[in-house]
Amino acid sequence: MRDVLSVCTYCGCGCGLYLHVENNQVVGASPSRNHPVSRNNLCVKGWHVHEFIHSPDRLSDPLVRKDGRLVPVSWNEALDVAAAGLKGVKERYGPDRIGVLSSAKCSNEENYILQKFTRAVLGTNNIDHCARL
Amino acid sequence: MTGRYLLAKDHLVPLLRKIAKSNRLVAPVLNEYGDTLFSHITDLDSAAIDLAHQPQNSLKSFFFPQTEKLSTYLVEKSPKTGNVRYNFYPHTVENQPTAYVGVRSCDMFAVMYTDMTFLHNGERDNYYQKRRDNAFFITLACNHPFPNCFCNATRSGPFLELGYDLQLTDLGDRYFVETGRSRGMKIVEQMGQFFKPASEADRREQFQLALEARGLFQRNVHVELASKILQEQDEPVGIISELSSRCQDCAGCAYVCPTCTCFNIADLPLDEESGERIRSWDACTFAGFSKMAGDHNPVQCESQRVRKRFLHKLLHDVAKHGRPSCVGCGRCVDICFGGVDIISFVDRVVKTIDHCRDVD
Amino acid sequence: MAGLATTFGSGAMTNSINELDHAQVVLVSGSNTTEAHPQVARRIYGCVDRGAKLIVIDPRRTKIARYADLHLQLRPGTDIPLLNGIMRSIIDENLVDDLFIEMRTENFFAMRDMLLQIDLDQVAATTNVSKCMIRQAARIYAQAQRSVICYCLGVTQHICGTSNVQSYANLAMLTGHVEQEFTGVDPLRGQNNVQGACDMAALPNVLPGYQSLDDPGVRNKFKQSWGVELPKTQGVTLLDMTHGGSVWSEGFEQLPEPIRAMYIMGENPMLSDPGIKHVEATLRDLDFLVVADIFLTETAVLADVVFPAASFAEKIGTVTNSERRVQLMNQAITPVGNSRTDDKIIAGIASRFGYDMEYESSAEIMEEICLLTPLYGGMYHDRLKGSWGLQWPCSDRTHDGTQYLHKYSFTRGRGRFEPGDHVEPAEPLSEEYPFLLITGRAYHHYHTGTMTRRSHTLVREHDRPYIDMHPEDGKRLGLQRGDMVQVDSRRGTCNFTVKLTDQMAPGELYCDFHFHEAPVNTLTISCSDPVARCPEFKICAVKAEKVAL
Repeated sequence: MRDVLSVCTYCGCGCGLYLHVENNQVVGASPSRNHPVSRNNLCVKGWHVHEFIHSPDRLSDPLVRKDGRLVPVSWNEALDVAAAGLKGVKERYGPDRIGVLSSAKCSNEENYILQKFTRAVLGTNNIDHCARL
Repeated sequence: MTGRYLLAKDHLVPLLRKIAKSNRLVAPVLNEYGDTLFSHITDLDSAAIDLAHQPQNSLKSFFFPQTEKLSTYLVEKSPKTGNVRYNFYPHTVENQPTAYVGVRSCDMFAVMYTDMTFLHNGERDNYYQKRRDNAFFITLACNHPFPNCFCNATRSGPFLELGYDLQLTDLGDRYFVETGRSRGMKIVEQMGQFFKPASEADRREQFQLALEARGLFQRNVHVELASKILQEQDEPVGIISELSSRCQDCAGCAYVCPTCTCFNIADLPLDEESGERIRSWDACTFAGFSKMAGDHNPVQCESQRVRKRFLHKLLHDVAKHGRPSCVGCGRCVDICFGGVDIISFVDRVVKTIDHCRDVD
Repeated sequence: MAGLATTFGSGAMTNSINELDHAQVVLVSGSNTTEAHPQVARRIYGCVDRGAKLIVIDPRRTKIARYADLHLQLRPGTDIPLLNGIMRSIIDENLVDDLFIEMRTENFFAMRDMLLQIDLDQVAATTNVSKCMIRQAARIYAQAQRSVICYCLGVTQHICGTSNVQSYANLAMLTGHVEQEFTGVDPLRGQNNVQGACDMAALPNVLPGYQSLDDPGVRNKFKQSWGVELPKTQGVTLLDMTHGGSVWSEGFEQLPEPIRAMYIMGENPMLSDPGIKHVEATLRDLDFLVVADIFLTETAVLADVVFPAASFAEKIGTVTNSERRVQLMNQAITPVGNSRTDDKIIAGIASRFGYDMEYESSAEIMEEICLLTPLYGGMYHDRLKGSWGLQWPCSDRTHDGTQYLHKYSFTRGRGRFEPGDHVEPAEPLSEEYPFLLITGRAYHHYHTGTMTRRSHTLVREHDRPYIDMHPEDGKRLGLQRGDMVQVDSRRGTCNFTVKLTDQMAPGELYCDFHFHEAPVNTLTISCSDPVARCPEFKICAVKAEKVAL
């Protein structure tokens, strides 16, 4: 079993917690004693943060809508379809008709990349996230 | 029979290296964040084994994991009748001998206590038993109890008289080694090169340390007195409501407690035809723990649940097992910022009762 | 955040969470701290145990409110008059910090003139808080050396949210309780990386680190690094995207050129946004919708393309907590199934646009952030690894981070008083809709429940949508614990299990938005604060009746 330090994903406190990993499965979570915020404590959500990770409901493959239904496809195909769809709207209506929602649950790096993509590739400032919700 | 030996401090790691050839090693390790946790050691040279601080986790999760797969199941539907049948295929626990090193008395005692739940409680728990059978314990006597420790009050330390395979006592430059269970004796025999017989003077030195350690506890907790009071009368009014008003309902106290063994069994479907049955840590302080069909709950409010946990530890387990299910490790004191810990409870029970009572 | 940005110049917690340990007075407003920010509540418990005073401003009698020396149970939506009343009392009792106002602030005279018009009797009538309590709160807060204000969405999620926030900032400046250690104004952020998403400019009006879109120097810096000219016009906000489409939505003007395609990463507006019916109509009407998420959310089912994303345990990356602490999450496991991290997904799309966004690691992405964002200038992964992170601003490798903001001066120079006036809620109660509905979070769940509702322990603890109601109201409606109640607003209807509790004031109801079975945001009103575009989740008018079984 390995203990990997991570940050709780459930609120703005940012508790430091250990994820207990066995055979590439997260089997438990516990607080870090020295972390300046969590100081050896977690709330009920933090103690159970590992429970959703291996849910059978996790999306595993990209899905593309075909004949009205979402069907699993390869990464290449899904990325092609996504790019073509966004390109199509950009060319037909212009970049400012595309909106992007980033996520307060994703990392800084991912947020940075998405806003860069929005501004540099799509060519619009239409990016926001649910900071107010 | 207990043998008494000496082990030079320099020889601890070489000894562990030999033991690791046929065992998995688990010891308190100081990580890069300054936290000490009982961890699997894969590389003895890079792991910072830390025998100076109390590990923040107990050994509980090594015997009774936070989540554990018990079995997989397949759903079989009879084409004729349409009846559904669940076929269970038990999950086998990996069978690896493990040496637990640097285990403090409280944690060792707690393992023996959880045996009562999982092994001596009518049914034997196969998952637990396998891990337990494969366990080898090198314990470390506590010359210097930690700030929240009170194992003297629960009679589970600071030095052990049984349960261990080898018990080490730090005599400064060397360890005084006692052999407990037969496996400990076997190690000393097999690896005789590391051990030399202890003298009477060494033994006296160790005994002196054991005596002195008892005077070094910073907490004075009257566990037995509280237990006795609770046997005779209800706990004084107001204590529970005061404590439970600060309970965060996080279950942290139960999860870090080395003797708390509440668990939940859940069937998690993987798809329509199969699924897994898992066992996960649970806590009697959760509302859902006691909820019955139709939403009835005998312990509806938080205060009842907090009360249940304390009474379980200090009253019901005493009736059942002859001793409280608290080993005085102090972890619940450290983890609860609301102060809803066993020391607060014991203190309040004892304080509000007639001070001059004669308790023997 | 707009509220603090206009008054102080920076919309983030001014203090660190641990500084609360040393506060003498804590004023908590619109925050169910024990449930939503347990670690903050812990500090508050601690300092109160050591003798600090606690004032709670909340329409609900929450756990933290029960623990308070003074609980001002105001009528929802009357923060501004209440704060004006408190400030008036501070002036009356001569507890103003003249020196601080003189040296560090501007626009005080406008503030004072406004406050001198305030009539405390009227304030008491408007807010439902007695004059005596207002005066007491003023004294406790102003007389202490180190007073901290913690507020949460109960303050911001109103049509006058910006002005509400400004009122708290005004109070802090009036008494000089800011710009120091252990004293300040601290908005508690709801999600794990709201702060970071704002910092990284997942916002339509700024560039990373709140750099101006209009500054030619900044634009040039980004152009050089990104190799393209940046778009000039400000973008549209979330609510404009989801409500400004071809479907009309109250409180929103239809955009002249509504959004036709969207990329949604890890969000679920189909549960989290107000006026779900409009959101659904907008999303369905799009030409193209891409969603990246870890589960097939209510939003993802409407998409044309859905990407499986990796969860927090499957990636290396940083997140920024409420106290501006940038921390590194280590990777525990490889991505589940064939999922990928979001940056890889986006890079894949970008390459099909002929734009290279391949990075070796997230550490390399952070190097680019460090280069372009002074606020994050020293946040290199190697520095964050093996540490508890650094608090921004952190300008370079030698900078150790910033424990509290506005030392020596406010970010904007002088703190600006922004006098505010009472704004009536967008939807007043009526005979037909006599209950006031407040929405928020519950302890066991998180946001739209995509994660927590797949956690078997959390689900067992809180398994269905509840609505909190005062026992008197329950009695009047013939309700007992566990009965089902139907709640209707002018926009929609939801069914809940009723919980009768004196936590609520009579006439007010509370429910959370975690359950898709009771999509609370079909009830809520879409009106939002005109500046911050924060929706009025805390007040809408509803009626309630028992569901006959």
